[in-house]
Amino acid sequence: MTELLVKNACVIDPLRGINAEVMDIAIRDGKIVEEVSDAAEVIDARGMLTMPGGVDSHTHICGTKVNFGRYMSPEDMRAGRTPRRGPLHATSGYSVPTTYGNSYRYSVMGYTTLLEGAMAPLEARHTHEEFTYTPLQDTMANTLFDGNWGIMEAIHDGDIKRVAAIIAWTLSAVKGFGIKLTNPGGTEAWQWGKNVSCIRDPVPYFEVTPAEIIRSVVEANELLHLPHSVHLHCNNLGTPGNYSCTLGTFGLIPDLNEKRQTLYATHVQFHAYGGSGWKDFCSKSEPIARYVDMRPQIVMDMGQVMFGRTTTMTADGPMEFNLYRLHHEKWSNHDVELETGSGIIPVIYRRKNLVNSIMWAIGLELALLTKSPWQCLLTTDNPNGAPFVKYPEIIGLLMSKKYRDAEFATIHPDTEARVPLPAIERELDWYEIAVMTRAGQARALGIQDLGKGHLAPGADADVAIYPLKIDEVDPSAEYQKVIDGFSRTEYTIKRGRVVARRGDCLVHGTNATFWVKPKVPENYDMGKDPDFIEKFDRYYTVRMSNYPVQEEYLARNRCIETEADL
Amino acid sequence: MKVTLAMKPAAKGFIPIEAESIVPKNFLAGTDLLVWRGNRELRLDEVFSVSVEGEADRAEGVEVVLSGETFRLKRVGEYMDGGKITVLGGIGMHCGNFMSGGTIEIHGNADGWLGREMAGGTIICRGDAADYCASGYRGGRKGMKGGTVEVFGHTGDFLAESLAGGTVVVHGDAGDMPGAEMRGGTLVVDGDCSRPAANMKGGSCYVYGTARGMLPTFKKIGTVQHEGRTLIQFAGDLANRGKGNLFVKGYEYLD
Repeated sequence: MTELLVKNACVIDPLRGINAEVMDIAIRDGKIVEEVSDAAEVIDARGMLTMPGGVDSHTHICGTKVNFGRYMSPEDMRAGRTPRRGPLHATSGYSVPTTYGNSYRYSVMGYTTLLEGAMAPLEARHTHEEFTYTPLQDTMANTLFDGNWGIMEAIHDGDIKRVAAIIAWTLSAVKGFGIKLTNPGGTEAWQWGKNVSCIRDPVPYFEVTPAEIIRSVVEANELLHLPHSVHLHCNNLGTPGNYSCTLGTFGLIPDLNEKRQTLYATHVQFHAYGGSGWKDFCSKSEPIARYVDMRPQIVMDMGQVMFGRTTTMTADGPMEFNLYRLHHEKWSNHDVELETGSGIIPVIYRRKNLVNSIMWAIGLELALLTKSPWQCLLTTDNPNGAPFVKYPEIIGLLMSKKYRDAEFATIHPDTEARVPLPAIERELDWYEIAVMTRAGQARALGIQDLGKGHLAPGADADVAIYPLKIDEVDPSAEYQKVIDGFSRTEYTIKRGRVVARRGDCLVHGTNATFWVKPKVPENYDMGKDPDFIEKFDRYYTVRMSNYPVQEEYLARNRCIETEADL
Repeated sequence: MKVTLAMKPAAKGFIPIEAESIVPKNFLAGTDLLVWRGNRELRLDEVFSVSVEGEADRAEGVEVVLSGETFRLKRVGEYMDGGKITVLGGIGMHCGNFMSGGTIEIHGNADGWLGREMAGGTIICRGDAADYCASGYRGGRKGMKGGTVEVFGHTGDFLAESLAGGTVVVHGDAGDMPGAEMRGGTLVVDGDCSRPAANMKGGSCYVYGTARGMLPTFKKIGTVQHEGRTLIQFAGDLANRGKGNLFVKGYEYLD
């Protein structure tokens, strides 16, 4: 039995409605408890800002796509090199670091739970293997269903229950956590050298539209009672004028779940563009934010762009091809058989570039214009908008109008006429930041009942103590202190153990992976469905028996069992 | 100041020595420098017989002369910004990495990556240079950005890869893919080479011999007179919307 007592912590815990109360946190055997014995080890937090461990609800850190980013950018590995030291492995890389690099840097910022945004089911093993080597965070993987042949055929036949059954079988087989749709239909159209322009374009051969895919999969998700909602990367990413497509997509979504949203729209910054081309490109963050304000069934994340070098990687193959045609740098394209695809290119976002400047502004506007911080979470779609190490700077920008103005003065001068950002006075407070970086993310992922994102007794003892005294720091003026504070925790506690202290990781740690296993009736078990088996054996390059990820690939895991309504 | 470093014969002569500390300005503070042999760090005088003549107060006044089995030395002159290094024999890989000023003169042959990503200064190699002479590094966008590299012998493959500035002159033949991905600067090959300037975006590449395996993505413009030679001018690489110029004396396409 190990016990730990964090004394005099200034706690912000939004899921319990606690806002800056000085209190003690008792921890026993990796869980938060009511009280501990006198023998407990004591950490005196001295009134420092203490929050549940950070949760990143959309990041790309593990898997084939990320690894291919590493392959094709050896120059990225020239940055961020740290030598092996004590229990720590050597790290390297900046936008696509090694798994240990990701894990240590997240831990130093107080993050303890990460969701890999897109895992191709066929290549799930790779993701799980890299999870094992991301030791200081718990992880889960959204599984890609955007171009799944079986699902599109079932949708064409109008059989939602079969859609749900295929999802249930696949999630259990690949040890996935949630459903990710990346440019639904578009990735399949890309295999025909085409794309879909918006939600009403039919996918070649399958003759279903993105709108039908989204609506059917959303319904199937609720039939399966999955913890997380459908996680959607809308069609038409990155094209001028795409905001109308985004609004049309949001309009498809009914409110089906009381506990959480029905749709998680990811990196909406990339989907909030106005204009008819790059010449009149502008921000449409306002209509998006207004629309989301009126619809509690939608939660989005920012997908903030920050200036500098990074790598874009997504299952959205056709979009990456378009980006390649803009940048003419190196490009990778990948096709995942009956499931999805992907593309990767390195990019540099520049202040001098008008389009990049507008993108930077849009992300911030979405966070500032959306009334409820529970509905707009803080992400960069790491590493697509920027590497996650930029999060503290984004927090600084959201909390300080002065900082925003100072940064605004350095970007392309024509930006002002294209974006509403200079007119926005709002400055987020500590509580709202806590919502956007942990509580809101945990609720959106549906993992608060599993003890994530809050500090109630029974919860996982994942705690981040930042060297910030919130009654002494004025974030709107002293934004540099805020940035420094969020960059380096005083203590990061993971499963009841101090894993990072003042910028240094201390232990090796062990990762735990969350995955779901929906229970379906016998007649909906796709593992025994003759038609499904026949298609599988005919079209996949692997045998069906070799497809599921064995439990050995998950060192430590928590299986979430759900009862499906089929 | 003249610093003479004569390599002592080594028992295990096959282990390379990483000597990024051998840079003229480092000798202004004495010869108390360290080099690596495998995973062992050694004092300079354990590897070389060191002698110093005269004094200097600036790197420009320092000349380092290397002799002996110097082809085992790697990274000599890395980040050099002034002064002179003379190598009486051959030199190992990565000589003159990132150099920004001064002169390196090699009387023998140079191994791979000579003058990688250099920004200024001069490298003269009187023998042959191996692959990736005056090039960039894996994955990098820009290779050599300035300065001059002159090789009197032949060079290996990927000469001046990702060249972005400066001048590279080779008096012998070059191997495959000289000037690949080049985006600026000038590359001159007096002899023959194969597949020059693949995927070039900018800059000028001159081949005074024959370009074998000429890439079909270059557009023939016509003939020009250049320094007393009649050369055939191409524009390209069209595959990369390139605005580079390729001049060749003769060329042959692949069959």
